[in-house]
Amino acid sequence: MGRIRDGILPLLLVSAAASIASAAPQMAEQHPTKEASEYFEKKIRPILVKHCYECHSGDAKKAKGNFVLDTREGLRKGGQSGAAIEPGKPEDSLLIEAVRYQGLEMPPKEQLNEELIDELVKWVEMGAPDPRSGKAAHVKNKIDLAEARKYWAFQHPKAVAAPQVEDPAWQGTDIDRFVQARREKEKLKPVGAADRVTLIRRVTFDLTGLPPTPEEIDAFVNDNSGSAWDVVVDRLLASPRFGERWGRHWLDVVRFGESSGKDRNIPYRYAWRYRNYVIDAFNADVPYDRFITEQLAGDLLPSKNAAEHDRLLIATGFLAIGTKGINTKEPEQFNYDQIDDQIDVTTRAFLGMTVACARCHDHKYDPIPTSDYYAMAGIFHSSETFSGVKRGKKSASDKALLTLAEPSKPSPERSAKIREYEERTQEIAKIESELAALKKMQKKGGQNAARKKANKNKTAQVPVVPVDMKQARDQQKKLNDRLDELEAMASPPGDFVMGVRDGSPGNSPVLNRGELKDKGPEVPRGVLTVLKTPQGNVGSKHSGRLELAHWIAAKDNPLTARVMVNRVWQHLFGEAIVPSTDNFGVLGDEPSHPELLDALALQFMNDDKWSVKRLVRSIVVSRTYQLSSEHNDGNFAVDPANKYLWRMERRRLDAEEIRDAMLAASGELDLARPEGSPVMDLPNAQIKRGKGLQDVKKPTNYRSVYLPVVRDNVSEVLQVFDAADPSLIMSKRDVTTVPTQALFLMNNPFVLKQSEQLARRILEDKSQTPAARIDMSYRLVLGRLPNEHERSNITKYLTEYRQSLDAANYKGNANLACWSSVCQTLFASGEFRYVY
Amino acid sequence: MANNAFAPINFSRRQWLGTAGGGLASVALAGALHAAEGAARGPLYAPRAKRVIQLFMNGGPFQADFFDPKPKINEFAGQRPDAVKLRTENATGGLMAVPYAFQKRGQSGLEVSDLLPKLSNFADDLCVIRSMYTDNPNHGPALFMMNNGTIAPLRPSMGSWFLYGLGSENENLPGYVVLCPGRPVRFAELWTNAFLPGAHQGTYINHSDLTPTKMLPYLRNPALDEPAQRRQLELLRKINEDHLAERGSDRALEARIQSMETAFRMQFAATDAFDISREPEATREEYGKSHFANACLLARRLAERGVRFTQVYYGDGQPWDTHRNHDELTRKLAADIDQPIAALLGDLNRRGLLDETLVVWGGEFGRTPTTESSDGRDHNHLGFTMWLAGGGVRGGMAYGTTDEFGFRAVADKVHVHDLHATILHLLGLDHERLTYRHAGRDYRLTDVYGHVVKELLA
Repeated sequence: MGRIRDGILPLLLVSAAASIASAAPQMAEQHPTKEASEYFEKKIRPILVKHCYECHSGDAKKAKGNFVLDTREGLRKGGQSGAAIEPGKPEDSLLIEAVRYQGLEMPPKEQLNEELIDELVKWVEMGAPDPRSGKAAHVKNKIDLAEARKYWAFQHPKAVAAPQVEDPAWQGTDIDRFVQARREKEKLKPVGAADRVTLIRRVTFDLTGLPPTPEEIDAFVNDNSGSAWDVVVDRLLASPRFGERWGRHWLDVVRFGESSGKDRNIPYRYAWRYRNYVIDAFNADVPYDRFITEQLAGDLLPSKNAAEHDRLLIATGFLAIGTKGINTKEPEQFNYDQIDDQIDVTTRAFLGMTVACARCHDHKYDPIPTSDYYAMAGIFHSSETFSGVKRGKKSASDKALLTLAEPSKPSPERSAKIREYEERTQEIAKIESELAALKKMQKKGGQNAARKKANKNKTAQVPVVPVDMKQARDQQKKLNDRLDELEAMASPPGDFVMGVRDGSPGNSPVLNRGELKDKGPEVPRGVLTVLKTPQGNVGSKHSGRLELAHWIAAKDNPLTARVMVNRVWQHLFGEAIVPSTDNFGVLGDEPSHPELLDALALQFMNDDKWSVKRLVRSIVVSRTYQLSSEHNDGNFAVDPANKYLWRMERRRLDAEEIRDAMLAASGELDLARPEGSPVMDLPNAQIKRGKGLQDVKKPTNYRSVYLPVVRDNVSEVLQVFDAADPSLIMSKRDVTTVPTQALFLMNNPFVLKQSEQLARRILEDKSQTPAARIDMSYRLVLGRLPNEHERSNITKYLTEYRQSLDAANYKGNANLACWSSVCQTLFASGEFRYVY
Repeated sequence: MANNAFAPINFSRRQWLGTAGGGLASVALAGALHAAEGAARGPLYAPRAKRVIQLFMNGGPFQADFFDPKPKINEFAGQRPDAVKLRTENATGGLMAVPYAFQKRGQSGLEVSDLLPKLSNFADDLCVIRSMYTDNPNHGPALFMMNNGTIAPLRPSMGSWFLYGLGSENENLPGYVVLCPGRPVRFAELWTNAFLPGAHQGTYINHSDLTPTKMLPYLRNPALDEPAQRRQLELLRKINEDHLAERGSDRALEARIQSMETAFRMQFAATDAFDISREPEATREEYGKSHFANACLLARRLAERGVRFTQVYYGDGQPWDTHRNHDELTRKLAADIDQPIAALLGDLNRRGLLDETLVVWGGEFGRTPTTESSDGRDHNHLGFTMWLAGGGVRGGMAYGTTDEFGFRAVADKVHVHDLHATILHLLGLDHERLTYRHAGRDYRLTDVYGHVVKELLA
């Protein structure tokens, strides 16, 4: 008896259902009489077995409401709603209330028929005789913190000296020694180094998201000095393109989007400021601990001048850009949903912890009780979020945003828009004053009517001002409609910011099962108990965001550095050391190279002072990074997944890289940063398909990171190649191969246009031979020269295609058509979409 | 590594690629491609249905107008007995009479109202569930519940789960097609793959323009004709094969070569599949020529070609949302669906497809027997009707009951989770084992709920 089934829980951390209640029930009960026992066995037990055991027994997957009734004790004791029966008093018994569907409704699927209910009532009246023995299982989960802290990810990274390796060629960097030692243990022999053309293409895409130019390739290939690789790597790290690439990785993780998504999808007209902040932060190599603090609490940090103040305020957009359920009816529900988004992004992005799982119940796997969730919720509840949208409102409003301290200098085009808006502002002001006047008049009208009525009973008449109430109401409606219309129109660009600031500090109650109506005890604001340090102590006068940030960004937080170096590793090797980059919890994956992960984390925090650029540099200068991606049967048999890095894993270009690389090859890429975002020009109202959206999606030649990210309307070239869904936290994108991508490459106007532009570029120099043109197309698209076989295939194709066009009396530029087709074929080739 | 019960979901792509050998012409390439990208587990049991067509009456029809006769409504018309004092979206008044007569139809004697004379001829094929219920009386949450098993967006839709579980039957066509002559409320969120691999997303098609190239993007090359494109593809094949020879075994590259070929064929396959002008005039007339009729005919053409899931939304917005003028609107709506659905069932049957195609009819919820705004009916999540036909269900039966006024399901209640579990079962999938690991936990279409309603199975 007392069949204890936790079944689903790893016992290591959560000692679920581990103890059997030992104390005897307070109320001494006599053993029921034979008749009473029979009544129970005949009438009551069958009801319980048939209708209740599924959810309320020791055998149930999970005892709902912590209530089991397959033992006498369990039934007597009750569950989280309290005692189930008052023997002798059916009217006071929760069980009876529940089966009668008064309050609780049990069984939830279908009410018992009246006969059965009567039997239960009678039984309780009899004193609820229950001949069963056995003890109730304690079903409450208890988190054992001391035990939980033994989990590897909650232990501080350990400094372990890089191991000695047998192969002297692999003595180079610490990274190489850790990786090689593991290879040697697995009896894997790494493949050779990649050739230089492959290498420069790989590192240029990895660091900047763009292909190397032919000149850059030549410079590297012809540089015979020992520092050739360092020169390339340092050039790329210093390039503004670095932040555009690595900033985009971060934007995936923090669910960056430029509209509210979900139900109403109202534009976030200033989200782009946060995007630029992130790109600039990676370019400026803002230390990662500082980067964390800025995003969580930039508004609370001191600043030297207005510009710095603004930059820090923009950083807190991190907390404001999540999706919002504008149509949510309850204001507090809206707040708690927003807080849930903030907790989710904070804990997954920085800590690799899924704290949001603890909103409704203690975390099933990790040592995170619901009280921790609400301790953190209190921090965000004590902060005000300014996203430019408000619950229940049809349009975005600048009033729901923060303002920059340093006014911007708008371009002439934008200035014109501001002037145009001033007229609208005047109209709005006029309408508002008219409405106010109308209201006053109506009030007066109401008084008049009352007076009129009163006058009937009096001899002395008070004069009555005639007011046509209906006319006033009609006018009012007309004005209100016009006001809605004006407010829904695009506002001019202004100095507004999405972000947060401290509100009035206060704690949050635990919401049982996440229900607003079921408030539990209040919990003090704070951080995760299992990793708590004094830094996480929240004072009574602040929201606690700064403390939260300091606690996360501290060297003694065992997760923070590990989580970030793991992300960086993933972007350079395709698979992370801990493949579940957002989940370092019990359900996450184990590290493939635990000592290496720790060594990288320690180096990142200590030697490199949280510099992401130095971290990236230390990885790409390793020999491991420079391995070829070639196949090897022997290694493959041992480690087909390449978990131990016997070669470099080839990687498909991501959506942004595919688009940018086509623009780079065709010579059309515009490396300037656009002013703001086209989303700023959208009307304030819900985003609808149509002209506004078409304008936003108007083709441009800017880098893909600057394309507007309207939720549920991501640019098609990005969507086709698995760009991150801006409504989700995405730390690893899918890589799919679907026919739509092929159709896109075959027929999409963007691809056709870039192919033609590339053809023009190749044909520009009239003195070139066809062979030289073929070489140029290969160099621009694939970074390498074609071999003889490829050259002859293309030559033959050009000839035949030209003949068929001539035979068909082609009216256009046949030469351009032929070369465009070749260029498109190269864009459509498998090789173009991969780095090796 | 993964510890999913159902399948090695977290099996990494490169790991999979690693274990598979074989050359370019490998037979299982299409399947391999899917497995590599996280799909195509295949059925667990012998499936009773290979594919699903869902006829979605968006807005929510009223159960007692069609398949759940409630004479008590008329008897107590205008009154508001205690039994109907239930909370729905808005406040409602007294009972509003149902002006349609019901007849027993077919051998089974299943009762169908006079609103659907043609569909009545198929009564013996219909498996009517009168005791459906859902969690929320608002369109958005109820649409999500019907589509993804929760009342919130951002979860994978039912069709995405089908594709994830079973893969596609026809690599030349999208496996999950959504037809609507407009935009149903909540739009793309209803057929999102969410965190499932992107290939499992529904392909939305507005078929109000029946030109196939208008329905599917990038289907046509504006510059190259078919022979020119064929020739270009031949060059591409050579370039890719040279590269493959250079690199040695590379499954992903083979997959990409294959996908170009597939796409090339899809240009023609889709043009054919989506072109209902290729149907004989007699068939066009059998279905009728409304948007809904065209969608039903398209659904049959897609089912025939192995599209796993075709979802037809009746119309733009929520046409069945009859808060006012309910009876008049319902007559029009019923007249508009009667002939096309009858034609679809008859057509599927004649072609031997009905046995392996599950047809699902219903809205996101039902409506109230009581009035709203004097002549309308409000949303009702407490009790409503859906029916299934074909693929493995018992025809000519009505399952479950609502109360005497048809307001609330009372016996043999079927939650949307149960419906999902049952549909997955019919497709040969176990709703408790079809899981996907995301953000640290295993997700299911049915979350932690759902029971297969065995009584519905043939």
